[in-house]
Amino acid sequence: MDASGYEFIAGTVSRTFDHTRIEMAMTMRADTGALSAEEAKRLLAAVAEGRDRAAFATLFGFYAPRLKAFMMRSGMAVSTAEDIAQETMLLVWKKASYFDPARAGVSTWIFTIGRNVRIDRLRRESRPAAVVNAFDPSDEPDSPVSGEAAVMAAERDERVRSAVALLSPEQADILRLSFFGDKPQSEIASQLRIPLGTVKSRVRLALSRLRLILDDLK
Amino acid sequence: MINHHPSDETLLRQASGSLEAGPRIVVAVHIGGCPACAERIAQFEATGGLFLDEIEPQAMSDDALDRQMARIEVDGERREEHSRPTRADIGIRLPAAMDGCGVGPWRWIGPGVRWSRVTVPQDAGANVMLLKVAAGRRMPEHTHSGYEYTQVLKGSLYDARGRYGPGDLDEADDEVQHQPVVDESGECICIAALEGQMRLRGFFGRLIQPLLGG
Repeated sequence: MDASGYEFIAGTVSRTFDHTRIEMAMTMRADTGALSAEEAKRLLAAVAEGRDRAAFATLFGFYAPRLKAFMMRSGMAVSTAEDIAQETMLLVWKKASYFDPARAGVSTWIFTIGRNVRIDRLRRESRPAAVVNAFDPSDEPDSPVSGEAAVMAAERDERVRSAVALLSPEQADILRLSFFGDKPQSEIASQLRIPLGTVKSRVRLALSRLRLILDDLK
Repeated sequence: MINHHPSDETLLRQASGSLEAGPRIVVAVHIGGCPACAERIAQFEATGGLFLDEIEPQAMSDDALDRQMARIEVDGERREEHSRPTRADIGIRLPAAMDGCGVGPWRWIGPGVRWSRVTVPQDAGANVMLLKVAAGRRMPEHTHSGYEYTQVLKGSLYDARGRYGPGDLDEADDEVQHQPVVDESGECICIAALEGQMRLRGFFGRLIQPLLGG
């Protein structure tokens, strides 16, 4: 948690959320900038089941500044990046009951919502007349997940974390860059000042190494 | 048995959100029927989640939380009305990944070849279509400037690179100038999308090109 995050939370007391603010400030005090996967799951469950505003504010404190950073890295203007972070967190509130810990971790789920908000934003910018609020199948819960799958989601997160850590710094970088930007490869090329063909082969290499490691970790 | 899958690069682009709206739908149809690719997508999305976790945060503006809390009071419980687009009955059950898509009626575009326009909610201008080609017929000949994604829904077709049956996805780049042939055993229905502009050639091409607005 960045310092300003704590300050504005502690500094502004609105009449409606007095109790929320106090609980939140208590939660925040212990916040060292990390939110464990388990804690995130617990908070999101509290939002889904109890419409718990303090839990939501804690999730906001952690994820909104990261979503904003992610969008800025993707080439979005500061104000647009902040807007997308807000929009994404509104959807986190609305769709909390759809979150299924058996499918993915909280960070992964929030990443996919932010990704969809960003796609939607880019689409609206390029085609203002397009249908708004179109049905998105990814919003709907899929078929129920078995107990085995529930274990798999947490294991997958662990495997992915280990696999990315095992990549060379150069490969991890190119993979990271692939997540930012609308036309990632040409943007990466200009960012790293290397030819597009080189980016393509580096991405391919990074991905085949990632595949090898992930399959090996099974 | 699925033999042809999207490349890891394509799955990464699907997961990171940089694939165009048209190909996104076709790849989503494939993922819906392919547990191996669904797992790969889940891994790439988890990678996105990991990068989100690890990124150096950018402070939100001072009143961001207040505005957010006010917004959930106003908008938080409002259910969005999803408009279900019009879908013609085209004789087969369409995969769940196409639930949001509009589907037009089959239109004749040449002997043994019918075409249906698919509209994608995320992008009204996306080039996506269903093709129904009779047994033993060739697919319309064409070249394209970007990748072409074709997912077989029913029947099978083949070209020099192999045979494609239900659940298979063919990813062809601009260097492939292909004209797959449908098996003699029955008609083939597939969903196809293109990146970039398509240029159709030959007789069918001249017929279909105006429909694509190219």
